[in-house]
Amino acid sequence: MPIPDPTYRNARREAIVILCAWLASTLYCCAYAYLFGYDRAGRPLGVGDIRPVLGIPSWVFWGVMVPWLACSAFTVWFAGFRMADDDLGADLAAELDRDIREAAEHGGDADARA
Amino acid sequence: MPELDAPSTGAPLVALVLFTLVSLGLGFVARWAERGAFLRRYFLGNRSLGPLSVALTAAVMSGGTFLGFPGFVYAFGWVVALWIASYMVAPLTVFGLLGKRIGQLSRRTGAITLPDLLRERFGSPALGVVTSLLIITFLSVNLIPQFKGGAIILKTSLPDSWIGGFSGILPGPVEDPGYLLGLLIFATTVIAYTAYGGFLAAVWTDVFQSLVMAVGVMILLPLALIACGGLGAATEAGIAQTDVNYAFGPGAGRAFHPIGLAVSFFFMWAITGIGQPSTLVRLMAFKDSKTLRYAILWVTLYNLLIYVPLILIFIAARGILPELERPDEAMPALVQKLTNPYVSGLIMAAPYGAVMSTISGFLLVISSGLVRDVYQRLLRPTAPEREIALVGYGATVGVGILAALVATRPPDFLQLVIVFASAGMAAAFLIPAAMACFWRRATGAGAMAAMVAGALTVIGLYAAGIIGRNLFDYDPRIGAGSAIAPLYLLGLDPCVWGLGVSLLAGVLGSLLSAEPDPDRVSLLFDLQPRDAPAPATLELHPELGHPSASPSPDPASP
Repeated sequence: MPIPDPTYRNARREAIVILCAWLASTLYCCAYAYLFGYDRAGRPLGVGDIRPVLGIPSWVFWGVMVPWLACSAFTVWFAGFRMADDDLGADLAAELDRDIREAAEHGGDADARA
Repeated sequence: MPELDAPSTGAPLVALVLFTLVSLGLGFVARWAERGAFLRRYFLGNRSLGPLSVALTAAVMSGGTFLGFPGFVYAFGWVVALWIASYMVAPLTVFGLLGKRIGQLSRRTGAITLPDLLRERFGSPALGVVTSLLIITFLSVNLIPQFKGGAIILKTSLPDSWIGGFSGILPGPVEDPGYLLGLLIFATTVIAYTAYGGFLAAVWTDVFQSLVMAVGVMILLPLALIACGGLGAATEAGIAQTDVNYAFGPGAGRAFHPIGLAVSFFFMWAITGIGQPSTLVRLMAFKDSKTLRYAILWVTLYNLLIYVPLILIFIAARGILPELERPDEAMPALVQKLTNPYVSGLIMAAPYGAVMSTISGFLLVISSGLVRDVYQRLLRPTAPEREIALVGYGATVGVGILAALVATRPPDFLQLVIVFASAGMAAAFLIPAAMACFWRRATGAGAMAAMVAGALTVIGLYAAGIIGRNLFDYDPRIGAGSAIAPLYLLGLDPCVWGLGVSLLAGVLGSLLSAEPDPDRVSLLFDLQPRDAPAPATLELHPELGHPSASPSPDPASP
């Protein structure tokens, strides 16, 4: 039974975490903005709804700026401490170059000979 | 109403000349620094990129970042913060989702181009050819507006005497000699340093302009906040000049960013950015996985220092420069207003540099496709290294000249062309690349289906929008109000539909086609000895056996 490559395993695990982070940021930012910062039917907004925090409208502060900081902190933690330093393996560019020439000398394409 | 003044001193020109000289210098240094086989060093920089280079070149920045985005903030207000908000997670997604596996697969297959990678991963020459054709088509279309952007920036800085002198040597009268002269100087410079310096020259110019822009934004932020009397006052000014939605979604004046588009733009920046061929190539070029981690940290910091301040600066601009007629001029107008001519020239050189580095990257991706995937693979597989090098230089110069010639009569609606090409490329290449990285059952037929279906979906929605507008007066009433708009099906951007259809086609196409060669899949997904062959080698020499069956005690990974 072949053993899955550790770099592949780690990359897949990290990709799942990253997709979850993207989904969470998308859902939070869009939902918060829609609920508190969008002028929509039945809920018109006026100047009184700006409620600025440090000069920034409340919905932008809590719906974009704070999650931006939180997301950056998460990124520093995840990329800085949780992502694995995996071996990417030897670079076989020279071998592929040689294979292309060899396949041509044999009158075909390396891939087409499978 | 205030207008952008013509340059009153030679300072902007001095800054552009300095910037150009530095770029040419970087081209020479890059050529000197490169060693090894031509294709790998010229098109991939020997896979030697460090963290800062990866961070500041693979990020989705172009001239539009520094001109179009500030214009949007100025025109539509605070909702543009949500428009750009996915940059908070983009460093993780753009580098982290596929980066490590793309880096590993490109080494294990020996690939130096994206078509190389997909062809070797799936064992499908046809997939390689289709990938090449789509890349060459989309990027060539995208090159033309970039050349026009560079020429326009240069034209506004050229002295009248130069334009007059140039007019005199032209064989006949032309509509805009300043534009032609700008294009000539710009194209000559960018083609020269790209052709001479290759990938590293493009990367180093990118890093240089990114750093200049960061310095510029840091200078502008306090000046703008002081000059406008605070963000509260600037917001009030914006509301007074437009309407109350300057402070709310979907934006001032029109429904610029309804919630469907807000969701779409979390795909647009954070997800489709991964699928750009120029990004994928950079993910094949980083040195090791530690580099990738540090690049994520650098670009996180960079985004925080660039995009959040840019939002604040151009909200403040409403209080400083009320009612600009052309919002796209908000950046140069504000810079001229708040800084001395030399600082102003330096800051405005950054978008010029961004356009230059964007073109360099595109030129190299196109010429690598022509050299590797067309010339070497199809026409002259046994060509010696020197011949390949000559074809490489020739292709870079030839493609550049051709695009510059077309840019002498550029089409209208340039921003639309850029957005269309970017969305089309992402819809074509992202899902096949993701399938290549993570799905053992994915097949060449599935990847081909994903690529074609994604590209056709985006093309179809743009075509439907254009035809609808011309024949049936279709107006989507959302978005930036471009003269030509795509069909926003259910209020979502075409890139979302393109990715969705591509994913569906990729899954169905793979499941309905024969299972992939287990030896090839094992080579790329299972633990292998360090001397395991490339997939192409295994096919040429089946006697090398089934490497997955007997992993050696010296595995590739620790």
